[in-house]
Amino acid sequence: MSKGVLVDLTKCVGCGSCMVACKMWNKLQYTRTASDKGGEASLDAENWTVVNKVETKKGNESVWRFVKNQCLHCEEPACASACFSKAIKKTKDGPVVYDANLCVGCRYCMLACPFNIPKYEWDKTFPQVRKCQMCSDRLHAGESPACVGVCPAGALTYGDRHNLLSQAREKINSDSSYIKHIYGEKEAGGTAWLYISDVPFEALGFRTNITTRPLPQYTESILSLTPAVGLGWGALLTGMYVYNRRRNEIARENKSGKDNG
Amino acid sequence: MDDRVKDDELRLEKQVTRRSFLRMMGGLGLAGITVSLAGCGASTVAGQAGGDGWLPQQYQGRGAWPAQVRGRVPITPDNPSIVRDDEKCILCGQCLEVCKNIQSVFGHYGLPLADEMVCVNCGQCALWCPTAAITERDDTQKVLQALQDPDKHVVVQTAPATRVALGEEFGLAPGTWVMGQQVAALKRLGFDAVFDTNFSADLTIMEEATELIKRIKGDINKPLPQFTSCSPGWVKFCEYFYPDLLPHMSSCKSPQQMLGALVKTYYAKMKNINPENIVSVSIMPCTAKKFEVQRPEMNSSAHYWNKQNMRDMDAVLTTRELARLIKQQGIDLNKLPEQNYDPLLGKSTGGAIIFGATGGVMEAAVRSAYYFITQQQPPANLLTLTPVRGLEGVKEAAVDVPGVGTVKVAVCHGMSNGRQVLEAVRKGNAPWHFVEFMCCPGGCISGGGQPRSAVPPSDEVRMQRINSLYQADARMQWRESHENSEVLALYQNFLEHPMSELAEELLHTSYTDRGKKAKQLTA
Ligand code: SF4
Ligand code: SF4
Ligand code: SF4
Ligand code: SF4
Repeated sequence: MSKGVLVDLTKCVGCGSCMVACKMWNKLQYTRTASDKGGEASLDAENWTVVNKVETKKGNESVWRFVKNQCLHCEEPACASACFSKAIKKTKDGPVVYDANLCVGCRYCMLACPFNIPKYEWDKTFPQVRKCQMCSDRLHAGESPACVGVCPAGALTYGDRHNLLSQAREKINSDSSYIKHIYGEKEAGGTAWLYISDVPFEALGFRTNITTRPLPQYTESILSLTPAVGLGWGALLTGMYVYNRRRNEIARENKSGKDNG
Repeated sequence: MDDRVKDDELRLEKQVTRRSFLRMMGGLGLAGITVSLAGCGASTVAGQAGGDGWLPQQYQGRGAWPAQVRGRVPITPDNPSIVRDDEKCILCGQCLEVCKNIQSVFGHYGLPLADEMVCVNCGQCALWCPTAAITERDDTQKVLQALQDPDKHVVVQTAPATRVALGEEFGLAPGTWVMGQQVAALKRLGFDAVFDTNFSADLTIMEEATELIKRIKGDINKPLPQFTSCSPGWVKFCEYFYPDLLPHMSSCKSPQQMLGALVKTYYAKMKNINPENIVSVSIMPCTAKKFEVQRPEMNSSAHYWNKQNMRDMDAVLTTRELARLIKQQGIDLNKLPEQNYDPLLGKSTGGAIIFGATGGVMEAAVRSAYYFITQQQPPANLLTLTPVRGLEGVKEAAVDVPGVGTVKVAVCHGMSNGRQVLEAVRKGNAPWHFVEFMCCPGGCISGGGQPRSAVPPSDEVRMQRINSLYQADARMQWRESHENSEVLALYQNFLEHPMSELAEELLHTSYTDRGKKAKQLTA
């Protein structure tokens, strides 16, 4: 059964626990403070999730809302279909995961993602594409994602995606303060992470002009339309990537050879 | 379903060809390169990113069920009292425990949030945090700068509770009395005058007891019971959660703010110092004081002199910050000779000393109120009002005052205890005339800025500090606030009498309804 997470944006108090849990569980570095620093927080190679503070209006009243942002784990991920080396794939639990062994470093996934999620370790010798894995190892063990487990405000609910959808529907239909829209139900063909809110999603920085057609169809056509550019660029990057890897491999072999001798 | 599998296979075919092509270009098989060479260490599933860190035990192996103890308190970056270093946080949940269960703040307001994070700035979370991820906002540099500025006249005051805790930072047993050493250390740090918040604690009693009597006699149209107003965390708590009860709040400023207003008016006048050159600092056991000094209405001296931009208080240092300053300057507190507070705003009584303990304000107020009403010395049992001493959450006492009858009082500390009293008042079945509220468990002696002598704070340490205060009170020559000669001189030379027009202007304040920011929870 495909799993998902329902984010109730009306419940989030912006404590940043989810952000810290993600860092701790995934051993990510603190490059800068990203918790509740408002607009400054953004996803990067070491920030797989951030909580953005948005100051907006609800009716006449100014309100604060906090928006947890991470990979949405599309039902039919554009990044995975753009990834010709199968380094990114959708597991049957729901997470869209990244396998460093297979990555050739072409970064097509970054271009393909409609939510601008995958990030690249620009400062590493062997850079990887980095993003939320939906804690697929924890899911596999029957646990909830790290961020969900620590949320003290009940803003995050983990469960079967279709159950979450009916929960979300019930909530927004029974409470008039909610916007009558479940973000992620249809966007990009549906995502594992779903959001409900009492403030219009566009006011909170969500991309709302995303097609409801599954995106792989688009990426396929983009890739096939521009084979020369795509392949040329990809080939160059891959070549450099592999060259670097190889060089380091040799260096290490030499070193360990010396150490042994 | 079937369609998708087919699709997948189709795609796979295409991509495999592309990949083989690229492999050829690189002249290498990528799959052969191991994880360790890729530099990503021990990933769980072969090559898969993430999941190689840890989380505290409560989040492990529980399936999809949420843990009981989890998460942490929300703190805005501009919180004037506390800051957090995310990098040190281990999500142990302790800050949330104290905020939610002891202070009854987190989780006691309706969501969604309005436009602020509800926090009473008490800093108890900082005392509980085992990694010191949460600490007070450090203002030591600001104070050092003022001290180094030759044009500034820097004045400092110390709260009742710091003198029984500062020593702990220098290896002394909890509760060790270091009043004289603290004064000496402050003088060595270069403060131009060292005053005692105890002085204005006595002054608070003069004003507050007068107000209480006026309420009881019906001279002012304000409801009973009267609430104490010295604990800024408590005041903000009331503004958030019980704004309907604000008329019960005594209009007296806290002792810190009273002294702040007097330093830049009375003291400046008497010493002929330009109030604009005075920098007024306080040493407090409390982080909420850092919020209190920023309250916009705390600028009575500016009104008095008709000057813009003057604040009554300029900086607050917690006991821990003062300890840091002293250590930085290489001063050994243990070796300092005891020194005395400076005159004019430096004398105090036993009544003021016990302000630092839960029940202390009440006990001091009862002593003086008795005297004001009867013009007689209070009986001995009022000098040791045992029912309001100790760490019980809600304490009560009844005092017979000739001419008035029985005056009933209550004392509570820790805001979840406070709620019991507040609910009773809201329902209209509160028998008391006067209620003391202290935001922090144990009172100021266990304020959010005190040394972390036990983590989480223990009642044992609290009692050691409290006992030290009561012992000092018992040793004092003057036990009652109205005996303070400097306070009497202040009235004679400046304020005239309690609740005079000038006293109202400088020593009293009003409150803000913050009910909208912490929406009532509907069951
Ligand atoms: S699901 Fe896991 S990887 Fe993704 S944001 Fe949450 S903690 Fe991070
Ligand atoms: S842990 Fe929950 S309440 Fe805290 S920031 Fe994350 S989603 Fe919001
Ligand atoms: S300062 Fe007090 S009210 Fe604010 S978060 Fe900490 S414990 Fe809660
Ligand atoms: S008490 Fe400290 S370490 Fe524990 S969750 Fe709170 S901030 Fe983090």
